[in-house]
Amino acid sequence: MDRASATGAEQQQPRRLTRAKPPARRRPRPAPAPAGPPGSAESTAAVLSSAFTMIAIVCLWVAVQLLFLSSISQSRAQDLLYDQFRHELGAATAPVGPIVPAGDPVAVLEVPSLGLEQVVIEGTASGDLLVGPGHRRDTPLPGQVGTSVVYGRAATYGAPFGDLTKLRAGDRIEVTVGQGRTVFEVSGVRRAGDPLPQPPAAGAARLTLVTAEGSGRLGALAPQSVVYVDADAKKGLPAPSGRPPAVPRSEQSMARDSTALPLLALCLALLLALTLGVVAARQRWSTALVWVVATPVVIALSWASTDVVMRLLPNLI
Amino acid sequence: MRRRQRAVLAGLALVTVAMAASAGPSSALTHQPDAHSAPYRSAPGPQTVGRAAVSDEGWKQTKSVQRSVVDNDGSTRGYPFTDPFKVTVDADHTKNLRGRERIAISWKGAQPSAGRASDPYGVGGLNQEYPVVIMQCRGAGASVTPETCWTSSFSQRSQVSRSASDATWTHDRYADPADKEKVSGPADFPTPAQCPSILRDGDFYTHLTPFVSKKGKVYSACDKDHMPPEAAAEAAFPAAEIASYTDTDGNGSAQFEVRSDVENESLGCNDTTACSIVVVPITGVSCDQASAANPTNLTPVEKSCRKTGQWAPGSSNFVNLAVDQAVSPALWWSESNWRNRFVIPITFGLPPDTCDILDPRAPTGFYGSELLSQAALQWSPAYCLNKKRFKFQLNQMPDEAGWNLMRNGEGAAAEVSSEHPAGTDPVGYAPTAVTGFGISYLIDRPDNAGEYTRLRLNARLVAKLLTQSYLGSGLGKDHPGIGSNPWGIMADPEFVRLNPGLSQNASEAGASLLSLSNSSDIIEQLTSWIAQDAEATAFIRGKADPWGMKVNPSYRNITLPTAEWPLLDTFVPQTSIECWDANPPNYFSLLAAPVTTLSKIATALLDSWPNTQTRCDTDVSTSPHTYKVGRVDRQSYGARFMLGIVSLGDAARYGLRTSALETRKGTYVAPTDRSLSAALRLSKQQQKYGPFVLDQADVRRSRTAYPGAMVVYTAARLQNLPKKDAAKVAKFIRVSTSEGQRPGSGNGELPQGFLPIRRSGVTARYYASAQTVADAVEAQRKPAAEPTAKPSPSVDGSGGDGSGVGAPVTPPDAAPGDPAPSVAPSPSVSPSAPTAATPMPATQSVGSDLAGGLLPALILLGAIGCASTALLRAGAPFLRGRR
Repeated sequence: MDRASATGAEQQQPRRLTRAKPPARRRPRPAPAPAGPPGSAESTAAVLSSAFTMIAIVCLWVAVQLLFLSSISQSRAQDLLYDQFRHELGAATAPVGPIVPAGDPVAVLEVPSLGLEQVVIEGTASGDLLVGPGHRRDTPLPGQVGTSVVYGRAATYGAPFGDLTKLRAGDRIEVTVGQGRTVFEVSGVRRAGDPLPQPPAAGAARLTLVTAEGSGRLGALAPQSVVYVDADAKKGLPAPSGRPPAVPRSEQSMARDSTALPLLALCLALLLALTLGVVAARQRWSTALVWVVATPVVIALSWASTDVVMRLLPNLI
Repeated sequence: MRRRQRAVLAGLALVTVAMAASAGPSSALTHQPDAHSAPYRSAPGPQTVGRAAVSDEGWKQTKSVQRSVVDNDGSTRGYPFTDPFKVTVDADHTKNLRGRERIAISWKGAQPSAGRASDPYGVGGLNQEYPVVIMQCRGAGASVTPETCWTSSFSQRSQVSRSASDATWTHDRYADPADKEKVSGPADFPTPAQCPSILRDGDFYTHLTPFVSKKGKVYSACDKDHMPPEAAAEAAFPAAEIASYTDTDGNGSAQFEVRSDVENESLGCNDTTACSIVVVPITGVSCDQASAANPTNLTPVEKSCRKTGQWAPGSSNFVNLAVDQAVSPALWWSESNWRNRFVIPITFGLPPDTCDILDPRAPTGFYGSELLSQAALQWSPAYCLNKKRFKFQLNQMPDEAGWNLMRNGEGAAAEVSSEHPAGTDPVGYAPTAVTGFGISYLIDRPDNAGEYTRLRLNARLVAKLLTQSYLGSGLGKDHPGIGSNPWGIMADPEFVRLNPGLSQNASEAGASLLSLSNSSDIIEQLTSWIAQDAEATAFIRGKADPWGMKVNPSYRNITLPTAEWPLLDTFVPQTSIECWDANPPNYFSLLAAPVTTLSKIATALLDSWPNTQTRCDTDVSTSPHTYKVGRVDRQSYGARFMLGIVSLGDAARYGLRTSALETRKGTYVAPTDRSLSAALRLSKQQQKYGPFVLDQADVRRSRTAYPGAMVVYTAARLQNLPKKDAAKVAKFIRVSTSEGQRPGSGNGELPQGFLPIRRSGVTARYYASAQTVADAVEAQRKPAAEPTAKPSPSVDGSGGDGSGVGAPVTPPDAAPGDPAPSVAPSPSVSPSAPTAATPMPATQSVGSDLAGGLLPALILLGAIGCASTALLRAGAPFLRGRR
């Protein structure tokens, strides 16, 4: 909201502030010079207009960032994670569990049939999944004996698991962890109501990829229900014991992480402060100067705020 | 607006009044310690928990002791008193001793001592009159000779090149004629080349009492180069032998530290070599026939032999002035004194490495609490020397680390004292020993008046120590925010009020409580005791105490309780001292200098050697100058002040005193059998197989419960523990709660410092719980009655996924054939036939309307916004025109 109010306020300024230098170029036509105050209908229309502008900017910005801009930051994060994990694999310091700090890279996941290559990080909270698929912390690492669970986003932040439902039984999934490489064979896509797969045999490894999908015309934009892809490998790598027995609510599927609320409040407060700053600056300096300085800050703050908002939203979209 | 302001003002005033009330001087104590009236009062041995363990191992003997002289006419008379002293010596325990264990020895009826030295140990005790010499000697009964008795310097056993008037031993009426010669001592007297310090010409007299080591090597003791290696200057251990003091009533006591062959190989006492403690009450040399009837006509040496001391009974000899040799402890070996000896036979327990040497089997490791160390020392031989049992080994480490090893399956069981988070497998806690921690102290009263024996501490004083709020020395006075705080606890008015009559000269050792640097259940319990005290928490939150002392800002608002006490202060003082300039100190951390094990703290207290690391020496002889930083010196006897956290087991073994801690306001509870029992009574068990929890809030309300009481639990997994380990753990729990709870010092028995867990009485609940857990550990199956069982999410990824609204999950234990493989991918579990399709529950529907509707809604709203704005903009000129 405040982001829009910043912009909206800017658009209203020239008309109200007589002291401001005339930013004539941006105005569609020269302002008329009525001596009296504007009429009530006219001012209502002005208020409504700026309110709608705000709504439009906020909504569209969030939508654009979720769908397009965020994939830039995600692919950069993946590059960094890949470098880090590659280095750790080379130095034989890649984590093998049972307890890995959240956010550390733990595996590289490749699905040749989808052209998917992602570094899997530890943790499945909404904030963790911003940089890539996340490994659920109460399961063994992918490739280790037992059933390992990996969450990934379906539509936003690069949508790493967006095409997951295109997988067919028999497709290969290759996973590299600190202990070695495991090739899984997809056994099927599973949706609500389908029977759970048989428990894995002793010594076998299973990988369950979890994401969300939508239905209907806007299905790609509306990932509403959780979908699973199971894949099996005959022989798993040894798994250390001592994993946590459960994960907090915020790391379960479609869960939200409400701990980001204070941070969001801070971001919004900063946006508000920026707005007031722009208002104050406009009375001193020219519009062009103010906006050259303020625009990058506005974008950076908006970007950061949206990232925080994202943590408050379900983790699989 | 005005009204609101008034309300705020009123609220502020209320708060101020409340704070002032709580900050006022706290209510009077229930009992003030009686001021010490006598200049010296012999301090009894410290009160320890589980004293019953050694109650039947004491030793007592009474003897008549009489000094006499033979007059010129050949008649013998008692001298200087006609009646003999009837001396009774009492030792509190003598059996199965361990290295450095301290024995409380007391006596009564002895001749009052005079010229009390400030340090009675070793060579420092020589210049006293009529003391009681206590030494450790090899051998028992008649085989104990002065040659087998340990002294840490040659001057305690030999008189080298004395003038004729000082050779009083040559007029000892009981001495062998050979010992009255100018040079006397061993048959193979050292040659002049060996001992050049012996003047053999002229009127000089020498007597040597050689030391014979266990291996038979004879050290002639004519100078410091002819002494056993353990007697070298600056040896690893301070002198243990004492020339102790008898008060004017004839009573005295001492805590005597015994040395095993680990500490003193030359002396060589161990479980197979008999040793004794020899107590020699010095009454003076009994002189042989006088050369003249008139005392004034006696020769100088006869006169000095008949001397009776130049110091008044009860006086102190602070500056180590000379004393009359005839009544000094230097001649303890002379036959006149030696014949009065009390020989207390002692036996040593098995050495700590017995099991490693005698039992080749692989040990089964139990990991964790150091509270159990003394008990484990006695217990382990009862396992490893019994072929029917396993080889028990306690590996001491922080509770948390031991717990993790157990949880990860790397250790059979953990020894912990509080609840820890369980892993995938449930864990049972079997109460194994009842003990605790204590805040041990070593404080000398001023003016050579002996040790302080009843220290009392409250939570705020301990909080002040832990938060490093004392400055230590002038180096700390520039610390921002606390520059006016006392330098040490002894100068803190709050401490002085609780413990009056002590010196208030602050030392660096008084600024810290020697504590643990790593995570420990002990620190957890200590800090939760502090957290329950309103004054202590207010102090930590930043409120000054009534005397204006403030908390160190680095520790303000530290979260309590905590299992690991951090070193947070980073203050670096600015000084003009060259060494500190070159090595800028993190001064407050050097003062605190926590260590990793409780035994190090106990040893530091035993040696009166603070762990303060603030020594900084400059070697100016090199260029550039070199520096040495490290631990300060041992404290000198008579001015000792140290505080440290110890286990009650260590406190009992080393004879350390433990302070009484405040529970209710004005009530101070020391660790005793009774106060531990009271704490046990307050503890509650929350769930089956779980630990008993002692809530410090309950302790606060109690008058009798000791806040430091702790139960050590053997914690083991109830599932997925290999059968062999499970059987061993169950065996250990059963043996240690039955045979292992018999008080005593023998193998497998419960040492001092522990309260026995019995089938009845206050510990009945603990005993029953231990047996239940032992059964459950042995069975290794989760009882069906436990409804909290959660399916491991490793069964199938979808099953474990809560839907975000906490939908209950169907545990997939429907597999009728073998439910085990569905629990965990343990390699020991036999694989179920994968081909036999098991009916599996359906995947649950997990979804979120928010997730589905978010993006379409955003886009829709954005579109509406755009459209509306465009519409309004387009309509604006029309509106204006109409006006």
